[in-house]
Parts: sequence; structure tokens; C-alpha cells
Amino acid sequence: MRTTCSRRFAERWPVASEVILPRLGQGMESGTIVRWLRSEGDQVEKGEPLYELDTDKVTQEVEADASGVLLKILVAEGEVPVGTAVAYLGEAGEDIPSEAAPSDGETTEEPAAPAPRTAEVSPEPETVVARTAEQSERIKASPLARRIARERGIDLAGLAGTGPEGRIVAEDVERADVAPAPAAAATGAPAAPAAQPGEAERVELTSLRRTIARRLTEAWTVPAFQISMSADMTKAQELRGLLVERHPEERPTVTDVLTKVCAIALLRHREVNATFADDAILIHPTANVGIAVATERGLVVPVIGGADGRTVAEIAAARADLVARARDGKLQTEDLAGGTFTISNLGMYGVEQFVAVLNPPQAAILAVGAIEDRPVVRDGAVVARPMMTMTLTCDHRTIDGATAADFLRTVKDFLEEPGLTL
Amino acid sequence: MPELSYREAVRDALSRAMREDEDIFIMGEDIAEMGGSMAVTQGMLAEFGPDRVRNTPISEMAIVGAGIGAAMQGMRPVVEIMYEDFTTLAMEQIVNQAAKHRYMSGGQVKVPLTIRTQGGAGWSPGAQHAQQLEGWFVHVPGLKVVFASTPSDVRGLLWSSIYDDNTVLFFEHRTLYPIKEDVPDELEPIPLGQARVHREGEDVTVIATGRLVHESLRAAEEAEKEGVSVEVVDPRTLLPLDEQTLVESVKKTSRCVVAHEAVVRMGFGAEVAAVIQYQAFDWLDAPIERVGSKFAPIPFAPVMENFVVPHADDVLEAIRRTVARG
Repeated sequence: MRTTCSRRFAERWPVASEVILPRLGQGMESGTIVRWLRSEGDQVEKGEPLYELDTDKVTQEVEADASGVLLKILVAEGEVPVGTAVAYLGEAGEDIPSEAAPSDGETTEEPAAPAPRTAEVSPEPETVVARTAEQSERIKASPLARRIARERGIDLAGLAGTGPEGRIVAEDVERADVAPAPAAAATGAPAAPAAQPGEAERVELTSLRRTIARRLTEAWTVPAFQISMSADMTKAQELRGLLVERHPEERPTVTDVLTKVCAIALLRHREVNATFADDAILIHPTANVGIAVATERGLVVPVIGGADGRTVAEIAAARADLVARARDGKLQTEDLAGGTFTISNLGMYGVEQFVAVLNPPQAAILAVGAIEDRPVVRDGAVVARPMMTMTLTCDHRTIDGATAADFLRTVKDFLEEPGLTL
Repeated sequence: MPELSYREAVRDALSRAMREDEDIFIMGEDIAEMGGSMAVTQGMLAEFGPDRVRNTPISEMAIVGAGIGAAMQGMRPVVEIMYEDFTTLAMEQIVNQAAKHRYMSGGQVKVPLTIRTQGGAGWSPGAQHAQQLEGWFVHVPGLKVVFASTPSDVRGLLWSSIYDDNTVLFFEHRTLYPIKEDVPDELEPIPLGQARVHREGEDVTVIATGRLVHESLRAAEEAEKEGVSVEVVDPRTLLPLDEQTLVESVKKTSRCVVAHEAVVRMGFGAEVAAVIQYQAFDWLDAPIERVGSKFAPIPFAPVMENFVVPHADDVLEAIRRTVARG
């Protein structure tokens, strides 16, 4: 971006307004434009979706913040920092600041809506004209990026540069080279690039995968401990049966019952409903329970806010919506924000028990295994009961062992005797 | 393993060589009783006597000229020029005599002379005593040029310089004399023309000399915290240059910063940048960054001097520019 140049123009002549890549959440530094939903020349109304943006948390549609004609798309796809101008929106026929103005300034004859960058590959024999067009569209790319593009037959035109002064660097070309793969994955058929026999297949990190790697590595530095308890799920299952009869539409699951039970237990043991803030511990007033959801793209944890104040049926409806949108990659940033506790349930995969890694800055996460009939002793006799093992991982900076045990005991009691939640 | 300061390491190399070989002697201003103005040769007069530890008149031309004569006669003299700023006074001897005799005599005459000198800013020595002029000598065919940055390097490289059959300009940096390093009991000669990779990294190669090696290592640590992995390479010998190691490193990282205390313009880094762009052109992912002093005489005033010469911050900024951050 020649910002100084375009700013100077902007002061002298009224020009089309820039579409700026927004900051969609705290800590967002950049976003990856997946695709444009509108084309150059389209009339766009304020509030209409313009393009799809992949951040380290979610993929979401970004809406136009003004009405007008989409004059030019500056960044067709790829990762750009927050605040970058990605397009121009304005009146039909309006001038846009020329990005590629040569130093002699002779660009006035360019049409208002410049033709897409196809001049370079035009097979027409008008060499003189073609060369002029090529010069005015000189693409900034590093020697390495040019070599990789040449070797793989990738056209540099249309790639967005993320290097010094907006230069296309090797990473941008690599990203363009693997770009078709995510699109295929989204339709449900992960296109595996044909790896040579015996050769490891290289899968580039998506921004979600990178976030998972960064956050879980961060979590690993937290001093954590685990405690486990098993609950007799006889009454919880009975309750769940009743709820399904009453709410056939929502069809609450055991996880939904567990979410509600944990929310109430969290408010009884508020020191567990906490996050660590470096110089303080924040005790939260409501239980916002995150549910770990496996998707094809990777793990996401959408949050059921205020679970303590919702009925099990309401929780079930909210959960169904979040899980469906998570699997479609349609979660919004706010769906993932504000969690105070997380539940990770691998019971449906037949896992008996496991240890979950903390979801910082939350103080605790509950790992839930399968409900299975196990022999237990009741009144001196061995009987079979549906048992479920729960393992609580705690941030020891925030919670001590006895606190964690009290909380988990309450969860167990509530599951075994749901009436105690009253 | 004994710990030696950079100063002691220079003295150790000189003393060991002189113990081993009677043809080696040292010569310079105030190097005998006084032990040199940087205290490098302290105690050597007592061990080796006035014939082999010789004070000279205050004439750089005479010091180098006498050294050349002795070298042509089969000795291996090590002469000291108190400040590299004063090599100006010996330029005729260095450039037109020492560098040329072996070539012009068809190899019949050799000039195995080592010219030790020191310089650099950081302690307010002022514009006439703070320059870094090593780049001048890299421009002259017939010389070798060494700039060591650590005690083990300075010891091993000085040894190899003394035993090289060509004239070697051997640069030391004033502010490095006190730094310490564990060195082996046995002196290990370091071949001239061999770079040292101080730290391996994946994203950016910093090629640094002298004091800037240490500044670059500090910058690399900071960059690491920002998620940028930096490789730091010290060529150690500026002429002949270990181009292979430098080019291989840049081919790995695709980004390069060149750093030295000398002014950027026409500094040694200009040559390195040219070598890298030519041999690693298709591997470069960003313009090569150069770090050096601002183009000004070095000021006396500490705050001004600090402003003019480069530090770790400047290297870090250059690293960030190559990865398009900041």
C-alpha cells in the first residue's frame, strides 16, 4: 500500500471511500479474505455481505458499511493486517486513487473502473500497448516469490502481498498454491494432494490450527492439576428421558443436563467460575459454559452464555444451533467470547476417561467420558450401574485442590440427585 | 577450561607464538614498559626482553615499514598501530608496499606481517579515535583482513594471522577487551576465511562483525520473543570472505540483515549485500537491510555518540523490516 501517496491524493480530490478490514475482536491483528461475495461493478447496499473473512477464531461474512458501487477490489484473497484498505466503494464512474501511478503521473487516460489485470496474459499482438499496460501494473514481488510462482505456474497478478511495502513474498505464493484445498474441505471432501509414496504429506496450518497450537502451548505453561470422580447417572438419565418427552423438538442430551448442572454448581462454587488475569483473579457473575466441538477444520469452543439462567431445553436449543454453525464454519466472534468454564465430552467416542488441557484464561475444564454400566457396591452388594467418569483440570494459580474437589463433588451430587439443584 | 578476556586472549596468542618461534617479535608505541595503551602487551617485556618487545618512535609509517622489512628478511613481526584511525599515516606502507611485494616479486619475497590495531566507539574517544575503517583494507588485493569478536576467536585467528605468509590487518574492538569467554587450554588455530554461526535460526540471517555480533545476538533474543527466529553469523575474516557459509545461511532464511559499527555507506556490509544478492538472488524474500553508523563523524558527547552508532535496537528494527513488521 502506498499510503502516503493515496492519502495525499485523497486530500486534494474527493475520491471513493476505502473499505477497511475491521477488527472483529480483541487481539485480532489480521484476517484472511477467503472470497468476495460481490464483484467489481456491483451495486451494494449498506449491511449487505461483501466478503468472507477468516480470522484466527471464526470465518464470517463482513457487511458493507456504506451503500455504493464496488469500484475495485484491492485484496482478492489472502491475509492482510487490520486497517488495510481491501476495496473501494463509491459512485459509479467515480475516480479511485491510482495504486500503480507511475512517477511521471501520466495515468489520466485510464478508465474510471480499471479493467481486471489480464493485460499481461493477453495473447493479442499489440505489443506496444501490452507493454505499457504491463509497466503500469508492475507487481512487487520478492525474487523468491517470483521463483516459486514461476516453478509452480502461479500468476502473481491477483495475489495480495504481505511483505515489506506490500510486496508479494514466498508465503503469499505458497498460500495461493494451497488455496483450493480449504475450499474442497468445506464441501466435505478433503482434497488430499497426491503425496509420493513414502513421503510425508505437508499440510499448511490454517489460521484456526495455528490458534489451537498457540493457545494450547500457552495452556501447557500453566501449572495444572487434575482430579477425577465417577457419578451414578441413573437419575440423570431418567431426567433426560423426561425432558425429551416434554421437549421433543429440542431433544436435550445428557451433555445439556450436564451443562445446566455445572452452571448451577459453578455459582455455588464461584471461585471455580473464574479466569486468571495475571495480576488478579476475575470471579464471574454468570456461568458461561463453553462446549468443545470437533469440526473438520479443528476444535472450536462456542459458549452458552448465562447457562445458569436457562432451562435445559433452552440450553439444548442454543447448543444445537452453535454446534451446527461450528460445523458449517459459520460461528461469529461473539459466539466464542466470554467463556468462564469448558466442558469437553468424548463419551460418544467410547472414551472412558481422559484429561483435558486447560482453555486459558479459564480456571477449569471438565473432561467427560462415556456412560457405561460398571459394577458398583450398593448396600453391600455388587450391582451394575450406569457410571460416568469426570476429570476436572484446574489452573492451580486460581484454584486449590480442596476447592476443586468441593466443586466436583457438587456436580456429582447434582447428577446423582438432580433435585438437589433446587 | 580457563576463562580469558578478549584482551588476555590476544596476549595469550602473542605469548604462545613467541615462546614457540624465535622469528616472532612485537613492535609498537609504548608496548614495552607501559604494556600498550590498551594494556594488551602487559608483562610481555619481562618475559621476552627488549629485543622482542620493542617500543618505537611515534611514526606509524616507520612502524609498518620496519615490520615489512623484517618480514621480507624472514621474520614474522606483529606490529601494533595504537588506533586504527592512525593507519592513515601508514597507508603507503600497507597499500603500496606490504600488499604488493609478493605479487611484484613473482612470489620470491613474502611479507608475513601482522598489523594489529584497535578502534571503535562506545567510550567517547572522539571523532579521530573512534572510527571503524576495516572496509578500506578489504578493497586492496594482496592483504588479508580479520575482525574478531570473541576471546576464543581473537586468539585462534591471531595465531593463524601470525603464521600466514601474507600481510594481515588484524582489527580488535576497544569495547570488547573486557568481555570473557571460556577457552580451551590448547590454543586451537582458526583458519582465515571461515565464518562462525553464533546462533541458528529460520527466518532472518544477521551477518555481523565486531561489536555488532553481540548487539545482533541481543536483537535475536528479542526477535525470538516476537516469534522471529534469527540466525547470527560472524564472517570473522573479511578478506578472504567465507561466502559459502553466508550464502547458505541466507538461502535457508531468505532474509538478510548486515550489521557493523562502521558507517553504512561503502561499509563492509555493502560488499556482503552484493555477494548475497548475486548468489542468493532467487532465494531472497525481502530487500537486504544494512545496519551501521550514521554518516557523520563520531561525536565526543556520549549521548550524541550513542545516537550515531548502531545498537541492538537498530538491528531489531532491521529484522522487523525484513519480516514486514513494525
